[in-house]
Amino acid sequence: MTMTNATAVASVPASWWPVVTGDTTVAVVQRAALGTTARLAVWPPENAGPAMTAVDDVLSALDLQASRFRPDSEISWVHRGDGGLYMLSDGLAEAVRVALAAAAWTGGLADPTVGAALISLGYDGDFAALDPDRPAPAPAPVPAPGWQSVRLDGPLLRLPAGVLLDLGATAKGLGSDRAARAVQAATGNSGGVLVSLGGDVAIGGGPPAGGWPILVADGPGPAQPVRLARGGVATSSITCRQWRRAGRPMHHIVDPRTGLPADGPWQTVSVAAATCADANAAATAAVVAGDQAVPWLAAAGLPARLVDHGGGVCHTSGWPEAAGGRLEPPAASHVYLGAGPVGAVR
Amino acid sequence: MPATTNRKDNAEMDSEREDRGGRVPLPGFGDPDREDWASRSQPAPDRRDGIRHARRMSNWTLAALLAGTGAATVALAHQAFPTATTAGTTAATTTGTGTAGTAHGASGPQVNHSVATTSGSGVTVTTTTHTVNGKTVVTHVRHVPAYHDN
Repeated sequence: MTMTNATAVASVPASWWPVVTGDTTVAVVQRAALGTTARLAVWPPENAGPAMTAVDDVLSALDLQASRFRPDSEISWVHRGDGGLYMLSDGLAEAVRVALAAAAWTGGLADPTVGAALISLGYDGDFAALDPDRPAPAPAPVPAPGWQSVRLDGPLLRLPAGVLLDLGATAKGLGSDRAARAVQAATGNSGGVLVSLGGDVAIGGGPPAGGWPILVADGPGPAQPVRLARGGVATSSITCRQWRRAGRPMHHIVDPRTGLPADGPWQTVSVAAATCADANAAATAAVVAGDQAVPWLAAAGLPARLVDHGGGVCHTSGWPEAAGGRLEPPAASHVYLGAGPVGAVR
Repeated sequence: MPATTNRKDNAEMDSEREDRGGRVPLPGFGDPDREDWASRSQPAPDRRDGIRHARRMSNWTLAALLAGTGAATVALAHQAFPTATTAGTTAATTTGTGTAGTAHGASGPQVNHSVATTSGSGVTVTTTTHTVNGKTVVTHVRHVPAYHDN
């Protein structure tokens, strides 16, 4: 019997299950997490044990810090205060800082103050428990108050009354970045790691020869295989997490300027960037940016793959045309900044 | 490596100068203390000066040749094997607390099957492998997991 990477993983905790890929040189496992799937690939396969433990710790911590669907999360505690000053944990402070930096970088297109708008549209709880077709129409749209209304100085957050944060444009990317770092630390920086949270991919350590092989998928069409040797890649799409209000289709990517679901020409955007959080923010911003997405991505030097509603595909900044081509993201991050003040109170 | 060879060669020349018990200004190289040294040093016989001069010239010529050869080798290697150079050696630098800057020289393993899929949140591809008549068949099945938001 041929040994697969599933058998290479000596023992898998109950929350994880092995994924068979056909390669024996890496261990691949996945689990449910953060409302989606977390996938972990490591080499050498012997690193899988400590790697899974490290990822578990990161995901548990992030969920307790930033999930607006958990009443016991730190961000829910902040929201219950309805404005004021809050001394955040280091973890949530970093998550908010990254979200605000992403908003500044994207000109407010990936804005964390869309929380109230999302709730108004109906994304007000566990997605799996949402009524997919609510008969009642959505109330008047709620444009985001704007990321500039929030200020973060170190761990001290000033949040105006009525402002609800949703860190969805950056949180999964941040989680992947954190998890990849945690695995490196747990394995003594030996080998390499890839972490994917719902398709937002971060890597650390040494990549396999030629880069980590990943698929870029959209809709029912064939996925494009690419290789990633540094940085991260993320995809934002309006084709998932959809529901209806009074017959009107809704999705989870909100245009902060209108408070309505983004209605630009792109249904899915994949971006490669210096980090997964950068890629996450840029992909979301590109969906919101609509016609301006391509020039913005090109100016930022971000390799991107944009798919329009008709299935047409557009590439920018050196995104590989060929199957198996290598992604070459820029080296500089725009969302991981210093601990100085971010945002401003209007 | 060329740089190491250069340092070694320079060290040998330094030793040669130290053996002489005094500093010797090299032809064409300005020495800030040259005039001061010249006023204190004793003149050596012409023949010994000639031999030393030849040895010094020989050492510096050798050093220059080695450095030049090394530089040319590196340049040719970059032209001839650009993918090999980048495939196994990656340097990613980010600021702050993002994906940690990685610098590694060791090549990773060969991985031929995709290990993850980037797609819209919640859409995943499960990869399964079957062996049919001794041949590996990899199947990717797309599905939307019904996991709850935590």
